[in-house]
Amino acid sequence: MAVDRREAAIPVAAPPATTEHAAGAAIRQSSLWQDAWRRFLQNKGAVVAAIVFILMCLYCLLIPGFWKIPGIWTSLKDYDPNAVDFSQSYAGFSLDHPFSTDKFGRDLFARVAQGGQISIAIGFAATFMILVIGVVYGSISGFVGGRVDNGMMRFLDALYGLPYLPFAIITTQILSPSGSVSVWTMVVALTIASWFTAARVVRGQVITLKENDYVRAAKAVGARWYRVLARHLLPNTLGILVIAIFLELPGVVLGEAFLSFIGLGINPPTASWGSIAQDGREAYRLHPEVLFIPCLAIATLVLCANFIADGLRDALDPRTRET
Amino acid sequence: MATFIIRRIIWTIPVILLVIFMTFVMMKQIGGNPFRKTERNVPPAIQANLERKFNLDKPWYQQYVYYVKDVATFDLGPSMSQRTRTVNDIIKDGFPKSLKLGLLAFLWAVILGIPLGVLAALKPNSIFDYFAMFFSTIGFALPSFFVATLLIYYVALKWGLVPTNGWPQGFLEFDDRVILPSFALGLFPMAYFARLVRGSMLETMQQDYVRTARAKGLTYRRVVGLHVLRNSLIPAVTATAPLLGLIITGTFIIEIIFSIPGIGRYFINSVFNRDFSVVMGITVLTSLIIIIANLFVDIMYGILDPRTRDVR
Repeated sequence: MAVDRREAAIPVAAPPATTEHAAGAAIRQSSLWQDAWRRFLQNKGAVVAAIVFILMCLYCLLIPGFWKIPGIWTSLKDYDPNAVDFSQSYAGFSLDHPFSTDKFGRDLFARVAQGGQISIAIGFAATFMILVIGVVYGSISGFVGGRVDNGMMRFLDALYGLPYLPFAIITTQILSPSGSVSVWTMVVALTIASWFTAARVVRGQVITLKENDYVRAAKAVGARWYRVLARHLLPNTLGILVIAIFLELPGVVLGEAFLSFIGLGINPPTASWGSIAQDGREAYRLHPEVLFIPCLAIATLVLCANFIADGLRDALDPRTRET
Repeated sequence: MATFIIRRIIWTIPVILLVIFMTFVMMKQIGGNPFRKTERNVPPAIQANLERKFNLDKPWYQQYVYYVKDVATFDLGPSMSQRTRTVNDIIKDGFPKSLKLGLLAFLWAVILGIPLGVLAALKPNSIFDYFAMFFSTIGFALPSFFVATLLIYYVALKWGLVPTNGWPQGFLEFDDRVILPSFALGLFPMAYFARLVRGSMLETMQQDYVRTARAKGLTYRRVVGLHVLRNSLIPAVTATAPLLGLIITGTFIIEIIFSIPGIGRYFINSVFNRDFSVVMGITVLTSLIIIIANLFVDIMYGILDPRTRDVR
């Protein structure tokens, strides 16, 4: 019975190799995340980035289709992302169309929001899959160790030799031979092309944690390997995983934008930021705004994610503060 | 040292085989048999002959062995959509242009990014430091196609300083058309270098041996030039390999935007034309470049920092 109590008292997400006193472990359990939250709030850049990030997500979720500012937008076609109106082709900035319109007279304020839904959804879905694969591969490799670890890491080294963009493009072609690329195809292709780093990071963390006293203690009192893994090792990788979300997200969003921009991404009329930018490319010499606005949206998202990742890293792991 | 280098070189062979294998398997997944999907009705005898000529009647593992042999002898086969040309022709045509673009971009990154990082680290928290870090943050976040079109729109169209697109023919020919594409491609590695070098400089300056050197009475200049700079540039050397992957990815986009007839543009066109022998050839080629660059960086790293030799 004592064994169980001891294990329960071990913080679910104690900082790795913590130097804090062992006393009051149960209290520490909540206080790691509270401490991290407090440190995060002190980082002004990260907080601003987080607010902008949330506002952007809200804009993307709320604008398309049903949002209407009373008195300014008068009819449905003004804010329907797919409503075509050639009389409004490249209408320029106005209160009716705060982000102007594209060639077909589609309102970009609504379209960028709808494209953002797709871009952000692909971003989060692919990031989630990257982390799941990374955790499984990395924790097996790090936990088993020895020959298995060596082999798995060598395989990963070899995969690093594959060029990212061709690899992703070929995967989309395999998954959709007819050439119609769906959201899920994109998610899978981007995941397959970019899960390596996450796996490495998780493996590194698991190997460091494996040598900790509490893991040895758990093993010494007879905890099975799966219990050690599920109870002690994986919860402690939670911190780096939260950081990894915001490190992987920009890469995936940019990757999707690249593919859509060269015409190998999501199929029209579904919009993503990359495909709106591609639409804008036709006429950017005369109407640069159609290209620049989705690009600015991508840049803002990437910038925010970078700042949030920095802030989270400083907050969750103050020892490895990077300059 | 020699053993380290030899071991490292031998290790790349299975990596190359594995990468070719993965590309091969992937192409088998999409490609199918190129002679079975034509509109023309090919008589079975001719079809069989064609298949025999390109070894398509053999089991996949033999095809793989043939392909590895072909790659080893630099013969990447015929193009499926451009009947008169081979993949070799296309690569011979496009690769020097892409290589030049990549090298110029890398040059921008080295000659602007590294000094930016060094200067920022010498005066941390100064106006210049903030400017450099702001610049590198921007360079990090802007997608390269945005940078490229922004540059075309303002520098080429509005101000008329340079042409909007095109690329000099010869490998050693340079004119004002190379400036914008290489800068647009080099911005990200530049930002990366600036950030990396600044961080590692700041860290090196905290080291004991730097304090010792100062305490011995060496001038600030000598300490920075001799001890700090050399040690803090090691991470920049290591970062070269992953950056190369990014530069290759970038060339694909930049070549499309600036209409540069490099391998990236051929690659994308070949994907649209479903010309998979070109797709495969270019993928294998870029993989080989990345693997060889990794090898080179590892060896350089082993020379610069002897502690890393024993790890492998």
